[in-house]
Amino acid sequence: MQLSNKQLLKQPLNKRQRTLLVCIGLSIVVCVVVLTGILLDENRIATNLEVRNSPPSLDHLFGTDWLGRDMFSRTLMGLSLSIGVGLTGAIGSATISVILGLVAATMGKVADSIVTWLIDLFLSVPHLVSLILIAFAFGGGFKGIVLGIALTHWPSLARVIRSEVMQVRSLDFVQVSKKMGKSRWWITKEHMLPHIIPQMLVGVLLLFPHAILHEAAVTFLGLGLSPQEPAIGIILSESMRYLSVGMWWLAFFPGICLLFIVRMFDKIGDNLRMLIDPHHAHR
Amino acid sequence: MKKIGLISGMVILLIIVTGCMQPNNNEKNEVAKETQGEKTDLILAVGSEPDTGFDPTTGWGRYGSPLFQSTLLKRDNDLNIVNDVATDYEISDNGLTWKVELRKDVVFTDGEPLTSEDVKYTFETARDGGSVLDLSVVEKVEVEGDFTVTFTLKEPRSTFIQSLITTGIVPKHAHGDGYAENPIGSGPFQFVQWDKGQQLIIEKNQNYYEEQPYFEKITFLFLGEDAAFARAQAGEVDMAYIPAAFSNQQVPGMRLESVQTVDNRGVQFPYVKSGQTTEEGYPIGNDVTADPAIRKAINIAVDRDALVEGVLEGHGTPAYTSVDGLPWWNPETVIEDGNMEAASELLEKAGWIKGDNGILQKDGLKAEFTLLYSASDVTRQSLAIAFADMMKPLGISILVDGKSWDEIEKMMYSNAVLFGWGSQDPLEMYNLYSSKNAGVEYFNTGFYQNSKVDAYMDLALTATDQSEANEYWKKAQWDGSTGLSAKGDAPWAWLVNVNHLYLVDDQLDIGDQRIHPHGHGWPVTDNLVEWKWK
Repeated sequence: MQLSNKQLLKQPLNKRQRTLLVCIGLSIVVCVVVLTGILLDENRIATNLEVRNSPPSLDHLFGTDWLGRDMFSRTLMGLSLSIGVGLTGAIGSATISVILGLVAATMGKVADSIVTWLIDLFLSVPHLVSLILIAFAFGGGFKGIVLGIALTHWPSLARVIRSEVMQVRSLDFVQVSKKMGKSRWWITKEHMLPHIIPQMLVGVLLLFPHAILHEAAVTFLGLGLSPQEPAIGIILSESMRYLSVGMWWLAFFPGICLLFIVRMFDKIGDNLRMLIDPHHAHR
Repeated sequence: MKKIGLISGMVILLIIVTGCMQPNNNEKNEVAKETQGEKTDLILAVGSEPDTGFDPTTGWGRYGSPLFQSTLLKRDNDLNIVNDVATDYEISDNGLTWKVELRKDVVFTDGEPLTSEDVKYTFETARDGGSVLDLSVVEKVEVEGDFTVTFTLKEPRSTFIQSLITTGIVPKHAHGDGYAENPIGSGPFQFVQWDKGQQLIIEKNQNYYEEQPYFEKITFLFLGEDAAFARAQAGEVDMAYIPAAFSNQQVPGMRLESVQTVDNRGVQFPYVKSGQTTEEGYPIGNDVTADPAIRKAINIAVDRDALVEGVLEGHGTPAYTSVDGLPWWNPETVIEDGNMEAASELLEKAGWIKGDNGILQKDGLKAEFTLLYSASDVTRQSLAIAFADMMKPLGISILVDGKSWDEIEKMMYSNAVLFGWGSQDPLEMYNLYSSKNAGVEYFNTGFYQNSKVDAYMDLALTATDQSEANEYWKKAQWDGSTGLSAKGDAPWAWLVNVNHLYLVDDQLDIGDQRIHPHGHGWPVTDNLVEWKWK
């Protein structure tokens, strides 16, 4: 039986299609936020002492702060800064974990035990503590936070990749390659790496929300970025002072936006895993 | 069986809960009763805890009243100098020896009389202790009989009188290691109890030699500004210090007192061209701010009233010098500000031309510099951002950057810095502007130098008469042709004086407050003796 176009449209999408759509939609939202944040002119957050402390209105969707700066623009800029930090941090972290995972799984027992020990070491200290220490050691600022995030978020992903590589290593074609005298490096490059790319992608995306939240936490605590920069954590910590005066919009909108963005990344990561992971892909 | 257990459990819970609530109710009733009748005690949340305790030889009492100790001289509400323990003082013609006569009826709270030996001991200890009090100018202190003290200075110093005003006299016989935690003195109040991090309780000194304070007992709670405000809202304190952000809030039964201050905020510019470094290797100077036209134009263009309204919620005054309103202030230093056109004209005359992105340029140099501020201070942050945004239309690009003081210390000689000063001692002005203090601590970080200003200030220091000294201080600011103010060399752009805000019980009379120095809190206690219920 042939389905007409109309019927096709009416027919509910299957899970795979829906997942894909959600993924695309969310990615577009994130891109829009990042782009507007980057493209917004600095003048948008210039002080305007005449419209201080005004609640949300059509002119200022998220209201203004105590210096008359537009909170909508500040929030967007803060979000794009956070996403930028998150992105660089997550990619850095993923790179570290791939390298260490591969090293652990292919370079023999000694390398493996060293890497496992490193992973355990980093996992035994709370993220935030080591993050603050590292950020501080690198002199704070944007660089400090990015390095801090990159250097603290790799252990769990490294562990996943290590076990994945170990599994692949025992498979027949790898054993055959080995017997045929291929070098370790060649096997790693040609056989292992392609196998772990899906895990890596999902890993990066799931690292993302962590990285953003930790960036917000660190700037909230007043470490790292200078307080006039529009980072979400800074905006939130500033607004704490004004909550008791009843200026709820200072904390509410940026907080909600941060939550949304983090949830979005989480969702994209989950959906992507569903698409890529062979165990889920058939459902 | 189970039910019985449950019921008895609930009964026990009920008893515990009501038991906990009982004393609270009683407390409230007591408070209510007290406010109706004559209440002779006072609860204040007006400042942070003095870290080093209550020893005047290590700095206690520099701001506000030392409470427990009395001083040789003091200031009245119009900032005139009047006697306290001293009955008279004489300065020799060369300004080197100061002879002070003491009252004979002053006793410490432990019954011992206050004599010249105690004065000698206090000043020598304070000098040798190397504390924040700078008494290094004192060469020796000599005693003539029980009630005459002679100070010999290394060089004439008219501002030495400030040390006589602020240094509380400690008893020689009872001053030791534990003194800072358990002070004994001859002041209007005596020490009862200090719970570190929580509160200080003081009582009226029954043997005080002058008019007794009105209140029997005063409790100081050491709370942050937020917590102090919350206590005031709950009606638990009679007075609380609050930040400007809370000033629009009405608290029933309390009024807002906005006290004028010299607690100023201003921008110090590097005064010399770049190229040199300090001994530690930190760079000195900035080519943009070394141009007098830039500094003057900024001074003329900045709208100080708008900053007061916008950043301080109206609780402040525009600042033109570091000593606004004090007896040694020269009112001629007030300039007409907020005038963009005049500023633009000035810059144009000096050869600054608008470049592509609206930023001025001169011989390839962009009118751009960094303004540093202490990242932990919200008022300074707001001022810095608002100030930088104000200068944008003029074509001067100011990059604002919040740093910790440790970081600022390395960069403050080559970048503009937002500082806060303000003292009832004219010596501060000398410290900020004298070329001798270039690069010394946080003083004169811009390496400002004007030999004429230096000469005036030296004359002011060596003057033996206060009014004569004041005249020289005024001339150093502006003598008609040069000076350290915005009319002259403009090494600073002073922005605002931050009013100190207090929520005060409607019934409480805190007297006439003097112009407060830097530091929100303790200065308000300066005239604590005069406070009473209306």
